[in-house]
Amino acid sequence: MELTNQQRNVVIIGGGPAGIEASKALDALGYTVFLIERENRLGGHLGRWDRLFPYGTPADDVLGQMTASMGRVKWFTSTEVTQLNKLERGYNVILSNGLSVLADALLLTTGFTLFNASKKEEYGYGIYDKVITNADLEDWFSGIPVPAVGNPRRIGFVHCVGSRDEKVGNRYCSKVCCATAVKQACEIKQQFPDAVVYCFYMDLRMFGRGYEDMYLEAQKKYGVIFVRGRVSEVSEDKDGHLFVKAEDTLSGKPLRVTLDLLVLMAGMSHNRAVDPIARTLALSTMEDGFLKPKDSLTAAQASYCTGVFYAGACTGPKTLPETMAEARAAATNIHEYLQEQ
Amino acid sequence: MKDRFISGYNDFVLPFVIGMSFILIYLAIGIIRVIAQLPAQDRKKFFLSLINPKLWIINLKDIICDVLLHTRIWKRKPLLGYMHSSIAFGWFMLIVLGHIETWMFVPDRLSTFYYPVFFRFFVMETDHTIGGSFFFFLMDFFLLIVLSGVFLAMFKRIRSRIFGMRRTTNNQLPDRIAMYCLWAIFPVRLLAESFTAGIAGGSFLTRPMYWLFSNFLTNTYHILPTWWAYSTLLGTFFVLLPFTRYMHIPTEAFLIVLRNAGIKVSHPRKGYSIAQIYSCSNCGMCIDACPMMGQKKNLRYATVYFNRLLRRRNWARCEESADKCLMCGKCVAVCPVGVDSCNIKRSLRGLKAAPAPADYGYFSTYSLSESAATSPSSAEPAAGQEKILYYAGCMTQLTPVISKAVGTVLDRAGVNWEFMDRDGGICCGRPLILAGRDERAREMIRSNTELIRQSGATVLLLSCPICYKVFRENYDLKGIRIVHYTEYFDELVRLGRITLRNSGEKLVYHDPCELGRGCKVYKEPRRVLGAVGELVEAEKHHDESICCGGSLGSLTLSYEDRKDITMHSLDNLLYASPERIVTACPLCLKTFSPYSPKKVSDFAEVIVQNMN
Amino acid sequence: MIDFGYGISPSSAINLDKFDRTMFEELAREEPDVLKCMACGSCAASCPTAGHSDMNLRKVILLLGRGREDEALRMVSHCMLCGKCLIVCPRGINTRHLILSVTKIYQKK
Repeated sequence: MELTNQQRNVVIIGGGPAGIEASKALDALGYTVFLIERENRLGGHLGRWDRLFPYGTPADDVLGQMTASMGRVKWFTSTEVTQLNKLERGYNVILSNGLSVLADALLLTTGFTLFNASKKEEYGYGIYDKVITNADLEDWFSGIPVPAVGNPRRIGFVHCVGSRDEKVGNRYCSKVCCATAVKQACEIKQQFPDAVVYCFYMDLRMFGRGYEDMYLEAQKKYGVIFVRGRVSEVSEDKDGHLFVKAEDTLSGKPLRVTLDLLVLMAGMSHNRAVDPIARTLALSTMEDGFLKPKDSLTAAQASYCTGVFYAGACTGPKTLPETMAEARAAATNIHEYLQEQ
Repeated sequence: MKDRFISGYNDFVLPFVIGMSFILIYLAIGIIRVIAQLPAQDRKKFFLSLINPKLWIINLKDIICDVLLHTRIWKRKPLLGYMHSSIAFGWFMLIVLGHIETWMFVPDRLSTFYYPVFFRFFVMETDHTIGGSFFFFLMDFFLLIVLSGVFLAMFKRIRSRIFGMRRTTNNQLPDRIAMYCLWAIFPVRLLAESFTAGIAGGSFLTRPMYWLFSNFLTNTYHILPTWWAYSTLLGTFFVLLPFTRYMHIPTEAFLIVLRNAGIKVSHPRKGYSIAQIYSCSNCGMCIDACPMMGQKKNLRYATVYFNRLLRRRNWARCEESADKCLMCGKCVAVCPVGVDSCNIKRSLRGLKAAPAPADYGYFSTYSLSESAATSPSSAEPAAGQEKILYYAGCMTQLTPVISKAVGTVLDRAGVNWEFMDRDGGICCGRPLILAGRDERAREMIRSNTELIRQSGATVLLLSCPICYKVFRENYDLKGIRIVHYTEYFDELVRLGRITLRNSGEKLVYHDPCELGRGCKVYKEPRRVLGAVGELVEAEKHHDESICCGGSLGSLTLSYEDRKDITMHSLDNLLYASPERIVTACPLCLKTFSPYSPKKVSDFAEVIVQNMN
Repeated sequence: MIDFGYGISPSSAINLDKFDRTMFEELAREEPDVLKCMACGSCAASCPTAGHSDMNLRKVILLLGRGREDEALRMVSHCMLCGKCLIVCPRGINTRHLILSVTKIYQKK
């Protein structure tokens, strides 16, 4: 007997942008979609961000627009997958809210976790009061008090914290930090027009549409000072001022600067919460922990496991537009897969 | 008991006499060579040690414990200890008792050096005396002990795991021949003595054997060939000795005398080092001990093979091995002979170092941190009050958590202290010494000494074990106490200047190589940590602790290979499932933290968190 | 080309055509990590000699790859081999061995 689309269940694990976008697309195709989110609200990291590069779009607007109509999608927040069993066809997913779903397809949109900046001891996150991360600064932008910010006159942004760094096991580039740093540098200049703002970068990767404009604006309009050199260490004087060491590689001289606030651009690490699922389903992972798609070019949304699909940053750092595109691609792939069943 | 032959000689002693003469001459030449190669200063030390009665007692004690009884192996692996001491001590006693018997019964023959060895062949029993049968009993008893050891040795070749060894040394042809000789010597001796037990007497072992054999061996033609075989085996063994691992038997005693004279390694293949590498018994305890051995490809770098290659002057491979070594010192700690292989490797690095011109003229531009640079007059501490100078060192600049916590503890304890290198400073010199470049390190030592003297400090406080070791061993800072923060904080706690509360957290302490094996600081950090939490031990700890993999000792070990060692070391630390790993070295902290599934903290950080 | 007997300050330009790569390739065999540098400058920034001498490992690597051995060797002579660069290098370059290999190979000249 031919099943209707509505009789087929798709379970999506992870309620960030990828999960939301894919769930809506699959819902539009008529499938019964279950969207599972561990946190108490949908949106993932997007929910914590204030504004988005390159045009400064408020993240809330984007998220609001995305979640305005979830259609018939059955979404659950504060819910985790407690058990996952592979059946002859499909998967049995048991949730922490007691629900048990027979899924015909499984989509992992588990995203990333923000790199734990305290692992880079030399930057002093968690040790020095005036060292914060990009996420902390977004909190402050959205009005949450972050006492460390204070009224800074000299501010530094450190790119590539936990990215392009073998020593923390993350060799890859996190893709979004360069643009985020430039965006945040401009935003903080808007708040403190008299402050001197430095960006310490290794390479500025302004690859997306509009990014270069943002970079130009940071230079021309906001006077952000770009220093090509990775910060090697930070110390603190008795008054809590930060003393930063880097090499100004373009002049070839060691550089020392005193700052009132240092923002670490924590990159993306693989989400450890996905590890048990990867083990249960024997999914391949890469050296750095991210999930390995079947083929990075021709089957980027497919896993090595039948009926399991990927979208977004669970397979590696992605920008928001890439994540959204992958989510829609995954919905199409799942549709094709289910039609062939 | 009296002589059986007027001549006191039989041709069968020849192989033994030849072998013995060869080895004695070889050893005499060897000893003269070693002494001649010692630097003049060390040679003087050696001769002075020979007229020091106190050292004689120490030497005697060490020789009995290490060479005969093998107490160091007993402590780690009792069965292996028994195996070694049964053969060594048993054999020694057989020789001693043979001489006593000769001296008692046929004193004229004592000057014939083969006679006591073949005593049973040359004598006949005339009457039974209590004294005689007592010695017969002892002879049989010790022969039995040796035989049990030999049996274990054979068994060890098949199943080394039973002796607590995962891997044993890969033996080579001369070693194997000598080993078979050694295995055969004592059973053949038992046979020879049993066959002659009817004439020369015997005890609980040889006499029943004699009865047994006399039932079917009706003539005595087999007696002489057995003694020939015994003598030939001994002779062969002695001739092979210099080319095999068994050279350690005569060399070790000499090594002990040199070591106790206070001599240090100065050349990798001359003088003292010769005594060192020839004392290596190739037992292979260092193989399992080496943290690199987790990877099979590193097996060739084990210290035992290094020693062997150095004996053969295979410089290229020795150099490769020496450059790879982490210098964690664990092979030295577990070595039953105490071969100082780290220093041999270090001196080899120095010997093979490219003559690179060093230019350290810029050292004069360093100064003490502003606050520490008080003029000597005002810095003069009040009577009885100590002034502490804290030298964080290069690595601690990368782990500000340590220097900040140290400062917090010192402030809380109300100590008068200054930060020597808040703005960075000159390296302590240990990394260059580890690389065998002692000469270059001297300039750092001189400049730092000057800076420390300038500060007027009475105590030099260190948080980095690498620095601590060099300050203790290579600096001349008379009048200034050099102390590691684990020791100093322990003192502050015991003096009641800081008080701690117990959080009940399950902690495991990692012994950094340079602090534990390097400076023998084990109990102070444990005492303090025991007061702030529940202290558990790693699977291997104290002097068997496993290097974190970050050691500056290795010159060529790649980052990827180091990671394997780090994972292995973490596994060891998590043995008793602690909640947190505590270490007292910036390098260990930096090495562990990216890979540890449990939080890794510095000692000072833990103290600050649990200070009232 | 006609040799006029003078040129435009030939030493200030890097002429890769005239750079004999033999030594550099030998160095890369001895310590392949020399090829891994991405010029972030962490080594030079954290170096305890920074500001006191002109030692700069990033530059040493660069200069050796551009045929400026003399400058590189002068810098290396200031190195204390403390290993801080080994710890901070994001590419995991075995800096201490690299420095020792530089002195070993280029000293042969």
